[in-house]
Amino acid sequence: MRRLLLAFMGLAAALTAPAAMAQTTAIIHAKAYVQPGAPPILDATIIIQTGKIKAVAAGLAPPPGVEVVDAKGAIVTPGLMNGASQLGIEEVTSTDDGADRAVKSGPLGAAFDIQYALNPNSELLRVARFDGVTRAMTLPTGSASAPFTGQGAALRLSESADILDRPKAAVAVQTGGPSDPAAGGSRAAQWQILRNALDEAREYRADKHGAGPRDQILNHLDAEALGPVLDGKVPLAIAATRESDIRQAIALAHDEHVRVVIIGGAEAWRVADLLAAAKIPVVLDPFANLAYSLDEIGARLDNAARLRKAGVVIAFGMVDDLSSVYESYLAGETLREGAGLAIANGLTWDQALEAVTTGPARIWGVADHYGVLAVGQDADVVIWHGDPLDVSGWPDAVYVQGVKATLRTRQDALGKRYAPSHANDPWPSNYR
Amino acid sequence: MRKSPALCGVLIWALASVASGAPAPREPLPYRLDPYPSTYRPLPRADTLITSATVLDGAGHRLEGADLLLRDGKVVAVGPNLARPDGVKVIDAKGRWVTPGIVDIHSHDGDFALPLTANDLQELDVSEGSDPNTAQVWAEHSITPQDPDFSRAMAGGVTTLQVLPGSSNLFGGRGVVLKNVPAVTVQAMKFPGADYSLKMACGENPKFTYGPRLKFPTSRMGEMAGYRQAWIDAKAYKAKWEKYERERGDAPARDLRMDTLAGVLDGDIRVHMHCYRAEEMADVIDMSHEMGYHVAAFHHAVEAYKIAPLLKREGICAVVWSDWWGFKMEAYDGTRLNAALLDSQGVCVTLHSDSPMIGQHLTLEAGKAMAAGRRAGIDIPPERAIQWVTLNPAKGMGLDARIGSLEPGKDADVVIWSGDPFSAYSKADQVFLDGALVFDRMDPNRQPKADFELGQPVLEPRS
Repeated sequence: MRRLLLAFMGLAAALTAPAAMAQTTAIIHAKAYVQPGAPPILDATIIIQTGKIKAVAAGLAPPPGVEVVDAKGAIVTPGLMNGASQLGIEEVTSTDDGADRAVKSGPLGAAFDIQYALNPNSELLRVARFDGVTRAMTLPTGSASAPFTGQGAALRLSESADILDRPKAAVAVQTGGPSDPAAGGSRAAQWQILRNALDEAREYRADKHGAGPRDQILNHLDAEALGPVLDGKVPLAIAATRESDIRQAIALAHDEHVRVVIIGGAEAWRVADLLAAAKIPVVLDPFANLAYSLDEIGARLDNAARLRKAGVVIAFGMVDDLSSVYESYLAGETLREGAGLAIANGLTWDQALEAVTTGPARIWGVADHYGVLAVGQDADVVIWHGDPLDVSGWPDAVYVQGVKATLRTRQDALGKRYAPSHANDPWPSNYR
Repeated sequence: MRKSPALCGVLIWALASVASGAPAPREPLPYRLDPYPSTYRPLPRADTLITSATVLDGAGHRLEGADLLLRDGKVVAVGPNLARPDGVKVIDAKGRWVTPGIVDIHSHDGDFALPLTANDLQELDVSEGSDPNTAQVWAEHSITPQDPDFSRAMAGGVTTLQVLPGSSNLFGGRGVVLKNVPAVTVQAMKFPGADYSLKMACGENPKFTYGPRLKFPTSRMGEMAGYRQAWIDAKAYKAKWEKYERERGDAPARDLRMDTLAGVLDGDIRVHMHCYRAEEMADVIDMSHEMGYHVAAFHHAVEAYKIAPLLKREGICAVVWSDWWGFKMEAYDGTRLNAALLDSQGVCVTLHSDSPMIGQHLTLEAGKAMAAGRRAGIDIPPERAIQWVTLNPAKGMGLDARIGSLEPGKDADVVIWSGDPFSAYSKADQVFLDGALVFDRMDPNRQPKADFELGQPVLEPRS
């Protein structure tokens, strides 16, 4: 069903493709990191056509007549992916205007689906793209039906109106303390409600019109939304920081036969082997090393390195409520700074690149078309000035689905308007 | 600027009066006394020669292969091939970088002590939320010295912090400058002789704190009126005490709020003001002229780049983030070019933390702001950018004669970095505070931990 939907969406995209998409571009003389674990291809040529990568190889001569971009030896990587954000569903955090992050009342719990709120004109998307982000997972926060917060979506950060890559990519759940009174006010209740909800969804599916003990927790909308979770097609994205909650999530995955992704996971390093054995990935905040709450006393900067060493698939996202300033309006810059910090604390450069490309792509189900520089993949490509995983670097060019992004932001426009060169301009800045 | 001996440190005052031939002072006014004096003592130290480093001296220079000699807690010399005095401990820093100790001019470490419980989130120690004017509160009386944030900041090279009250109020209270040294009491951390500060705040925070309670102020114009009335009251209070100083008689009644504001008007207390918008900063500058005080620094100053020449003319530092924007409307025009635009126009720029997370990575804040400038064609070299987190914040706190650069005679606050301090890959290897090695990444016995972190099962390795 989903495959069918994707195919249909692909067709729609082709029909409405901008002219630039049909153009062929050859990036030459690139130091191309095509996929994690493989050494870079030196002097690589990357050919982009109709939004896809058509060829990647060392020293390949560009076909005649195509646009040639000389990377001059610069590092070229896939576009980056933020593994947990609120991109597209928030504008100015401190006000409710444009903040569609959470359902606040009414019948929607697990069924709440943020895809309908996405704003392709969000300035936050432009700033993220300016920093080399071309994909992002967006998750709802807060809930009218705790512990469920609703369904997230994977985004592509194109400059077109169509930024929805994969809708319903996860059903999100919030656990831990202090517990939402709506989830019983105890974390024990959160786990019981969650398990009961899965049982009810299972019963609902078996007999949609039967009596059964359903509708105690779920209404039919929420029960429907959990169907793909029961099928293993969509993961439960469980926000959990304390070791005990992460262990509960592992047990739930085992008992209920569902896929689980841990969001946050400040103390996940404590159970790295169990997570690896259960194939449960972790989307973590690479900055987290402080006990903001009693649930994350064990937070430490080598969490990423320890998890990866144990074989856990990891991604980076900005997931801590209290460091929310790192969230979506810095979705790219902090992703890169965080990757650098993880490297400083034991992750290899390749593993860090993986955590901002193929890691999140695999976790959120978009790896079939994004995450590596390989023939047939969407042409999300970044040519870097300097090191993409350190704060001194920046993107010189960003391609999303083969289309070169303008990289315009309000920040740059303001910087130009107030540049010192205008100091003696007799006209107010508003005329510039 | 007039100084009370008690605030300034007896020694410094004595030297100053000898130099100026001033008459013996009268007993200072009670509100100018310091009833909570510093008990800070430097930790045990050894004279140390750091050799062959890339030195960013904070005074604007970059020296390659340079040595740095620390003796008796002071910087003695910096330069190539220094002589090695007998008995000096030598640290080979070849391939590593050396900077002054990092100075965080806007920290809430200790008054935002971790962990924050559900109760703390209701009533944070960082702001006294009961009135828009709480000039009577002192941040040091909220500080938990055992906040784990302090040692985390130390591992990021921070040797001096100014801990400020929060920004809910027009007058948030007094801030305090601390040496980042582990201690059981706040007094043992207080930077001897440093000026107190007064935290003030513009814009959204005060009006959104009091507006919903239908309490003054509910608007920006209300905020301005609130500041002005308080300054007028403070002038009258100050005049009463000065009359008493001249004529004696019955002492006026003490008012803790007015004590602090009068201290500002006396020039003893430095004003550090949270303001985002250009027009608000311009209004406050006019008000400072109207009322007779100086603003040391605008903090956050998201729109400072719009008024760079004004800030330069007024000698006001802009204390900014590298990249925060958009988290509220008054931050909507934030640009990460702020620091670079200001610096290129000669404004004293400082990068601050305001967050225990950023407080561990202040050189990366500078690195990000430097990279943003470069990307837009404003090239700021590392030897200048390091001043954003060393000498410039020291200037903002009035301590630039003592800390902020590696010049002979200055306090031996030094960081040896594993590499370029502006790279996320680098770490502080060794941190010296007044010549004492207070942090060493290679030595577990030189890595202080807060009491809270002691014996926590989840901090032990998994058995």
